[in-house]
Amino acid sequence: MNHPVLWVIATYVFGVLLHVDRLPWWSSAAVGAIAAWRVVATLRAAPMPSAWLRLGLGLALLLAVLAQFNSFTGLSAGTALLASMGAVKLLETRTRRDQFIVLGVGVFLLIAACLDRQSLLRVPLYAAHVWLACAAMAVIATPEAALGARRAFATSGRAIAYALPIALLLFLLFPRVQGQIWALPGSGAGVTGLANEMTPGAIQSLSESDEPAFRVRFIGARPPLQSLYWRGPVLHEFDGYTWRRRQGQLARRTELTYLGAAYRYRITLEPHEQNWWFALDLPTGPPQAGVFMTFDYQLVSIQPVSRPTAYELTSHVSYRSTEPLSVLGRRIDLQLPEERNPRSLRLAQELRSQHPEPRALIAAVLELFRSGGFSYTLTPPKLDLNSVDDFLFNTRRGFCGHFASAFVTLMRAAGVPARVVTGYHGGEWNPIGGYYIVRQSDAHAWAETWIDGEGWVRVDPTGVVAPERLTRGFFEGLAGQTINAIGGLRNLTLLSRISLSWDAANTWWKDRIIEFDLRSQFQLLSKLGISEPSVRVLALLLAAALMLWLLWVGIAFGLQRPRRPRDPLARAYRELCGKLARVTPREPHEGPRSYAQRLASCSPAAAERAVALLDRYAELRYGPPQAAENTASFAATVRRLRLARPPR
Amino acid sequence: MLQAQRHRLERAIGGWIRRRQGEDRLPLVLARRRIYILPTRAGLGFGLLLLLMLLAGLNYANSLALLTTFLLAGVALVSLNQCHRNLQGLRVVNLHAPPAFAGDPVLIDITLEPQESTRYAIRVEAGNESILLPELQSNSTTRGRLALRPAARGLLHIERVRIATRFPFGLARAWCWLYLPLAITIYPRAEGSLPLPSAAQGREGGATVAAAGHDEWYGLRPFRDGDSPRQVAWKVYARGLPLLVKEYRGAASDSLWFDFDVLAPLPVEARLEQLARWVVEAERRGARYALRLQSIEIDLDAGEAHRDRCLGALARYGAPAAQR
Repeated sequence: MNHPVLWVIATYVFGVLLHVDRLPWWSSAAVGAIAAWRVVATLRAAPMPSAWLRLGLGLALLLAVLAQFNSFTGLSAGTALLASMGAVKLLETRTRRDQFIVLGVGVFLLIAACLDRQSLLRVPLYAAHVWLACAAMAVIATPEAALGARRAFATSGRAIAYALPIALLLFLLFPRVQGQIWALPGSGAGVTGLANEMTPGAIQSLSESDEPAFRVRFIGARPPLQSLYWRGPVLHEFDGYTWRRRQGQLARRTELTYLGAAYRYRITLEPHEQNWWFALDLPTGPPQAGVFMTFDYQLVSIQPVSRPTAYELTSHVSYRSTEPLSVLGRRIDLQLPEERNPRSLRLAQELRSQHPEPRALIAAVLELFRSGGFSYTLTPPKLDLNSVDDFLFNTRRGFCGHFASAFVTLMRAAGVPARVVTGYHGGEWNPIGGYYIVRQSDAHAWAETWIDGEGWVRVDPTGVVAPERLTRGFFEGLAGQTINAIGGLRNLTLLSRISLSWDAANTWWKDRIIEFDLRSQFQLLSKLGISEPSVRVLALLLAAALMLWLLWVGIAFGLQRPRRPRDPLARAYRELCGKLARVTPREPHEGPRSYAQRLASCSPAAAERAVALLDRYAELRYGPPQAAENTASFAATVRRLRLARPPR
Repeated sequence: MLQAQRHRLERAIGGWIRRRQGEDRLPLVLARRRIYILPTRAGLGFGLLLLLMLLAGLNYANSLALLTTFLLAGVALVSLNQCHRNLQGLRVVNLHAPPAFAGDPVLIDITLEPQESTRYAIRVEAGNESILLPELQSNSTTRGRLALRPAARGLLHIERVRIATRFPFGLARAWCWLYLPLAITIYPRAEGSLPLPSAAQGREGGATVAAAGHDEWYGLRPFRDGDSPRQVAWKVYARGLPLLVKEYRGAASDSLWFDFDVLAPLPVEARLEQLARWVVEAERRGARYALRLQSIEIDLDAGEAHRDRCLGALARYGAPAAQR
């Protein structure tokens, strides 16, 4: 693998492989075929294809990209375009310049991969690509030198090792830009998460996904486990089958007083391409500008969450309204389609007449769920358009969404304002990282009913039917709370310990590296004791860091001292010559005897001792073998030798 | 036009460097202040690539892309240092050029000592030619031989020699000028169809008997420095006797006289070429010969040193006296 072109091809193909699961198949196939052909052609010194063929191929690939993506902008289309054009360029790489261009394409493909995916798992791949690219650069720099693979990797590895400190310093101190300079459409590759509407069976598909939705690290005390309700979209509008968010005029937010302990926590949200931010029920306010709290206490951002996002919040798990529900608010949460679910409406009227008090009504409905032959299942039968009637009177099997939907319908029909809240419940405690992982499978739906004098009260009908559903996923949490961290660790199986450690490392990676921005930079500065962080301070620090690093590299390279000879006699001779150099340096061609002669003629004063020592050396070196002590005593004599500076 | 401008600029810079560092003497060590370094075109391209990567990383506020960009930028900066260090401390032990015949490539021998660190991909450039020394092992010496294009008879002046490197990534080139004025003697081409002068003429012009070409055994004499190994009596030496040299002499004359003026009908260069051929031929046969080149006379002798003296005189014929 000594041919420079092969190195270039390897770098480029590696770059394409980083995208192979995202590129259209024909693009990968074209790259593979052309690269393979080029390898064979290089080894057999075959001629390059004609200019017409290259032009045709280039145009064909260009049109294919256009046909697939309808544009050249955007990450996916841009990557496909880059990969294809690199392949065409590969068909005409003759000069070093051509090779360098293909290498550049390979490196840019790496950057595209960084833009696309940043998981910790891919970091070793990216690092390997950097290494390969540098080694390839070393090979094509001087092809005549026929640098071997080992030498190329060693040289570039050394350069990378020296470059790491400055890369980290630049990363920490290079001032980041807030907001985009120009915007391109995102890749929008399949993301899972709660939708902004709920149909029977919607949450079911989520419950099969083990992907994390977000992670929560509590700062200080953790709330009781049963109150880990993570609030998401609140659904008001019902057509008998689908629950939706409020579309029309919004009601005024009812003021609250927060009760009990305040919990501070930090959430790292996975991108889900929707506008809502999850929070522990109920947050005291939005975490930052650009995020708002709606009238139903939901956090909504202006921009969809398209990259991992971290924010800090304060929540109280108990609260109380201080004012009555507005007229509009009451109307929104009493709305029901008149012609749908007639049996449920009748049932609600009956219950209402038996239990006029809202509290008693809630208890009665929950009792119905408990004793009415209902069961909890993740594979419920399909429901017809009168979904609540079908569920309450026919199937009686369902999960949180079904129960919440039925409960709210009955409440509204009985004249009690109610709404469906979707979100997540619980979470897996990671004792290694000290945080909760909330997964898509923790998705949940519950109800809120308005009770005059108290305000919105959370009712979770699922808990009545399947109490174990609410404790599922709590197991690790219990372990973490009742036993100390080490005890908790010991109870875990090796496999789950590995997976939890991995998740902890990933979270650290996301929190500290991927999420690093201007705000984090300012926080870093204030940790360093700089009271007024600014971009100027960053730039100054960066300049200083760059200087120090350059100094370090300069010194580190300069410190390659000549290796001292292993042989003690040679070392002593070297030392002797070093001392005698004050009189006159030994010429490279001179042996000890001729040097002694010249010394004697040069400076008779110094000569006597010097000549004796040089003769002794010649004897030790070239004479019959002698005991090691003689060499040692010679070395000691040399060490003691002091010569006066010759008079000028 | 542009070419001419560039040439002028290069000359001006060359003059400045020459004044700055003065004339060099061997052996010399490439010190920091005489090493120059500039990015290559590939290096500028790489810089542009880094800029694009930085913009992409900043625009998407993508930490990983930025980290990669910074790492590659760091590698580029380190490579500048590596490139510079690849030359610094390199010792030029010897640089010399043996005389060459016109029409043959002119060879320049250079001996480099990398000292304590191994050096890679060192290029030595002189005139328009260059050679690459792939690897110079530490604590040893490496010799390189640079072949220049054939030159015309006379003295070939090489004002300066460049030692350069693009190691490790070709992003920058470091170089160093050696001002070791080389005046390479270019002998005339050894050509001409005339046979060796059949009648050797004594200094006084007295006739001697011919029979050139039919050398006869003359005897053995002790080895002297400068004798050709081909003349050594190796069989005798193998018997344990000292080094002896076989001497042949022309039957009647042991000496050949080559005179420039005798060849008068021919043009000057052709005469010089003919003389050169005679000298080479006579030396090959082990004859004793003398050369008369108008005012220059080289007395009867034999051996490589004598040959070189004669050829050197031919090479310098017509050149200003100061350079003789």
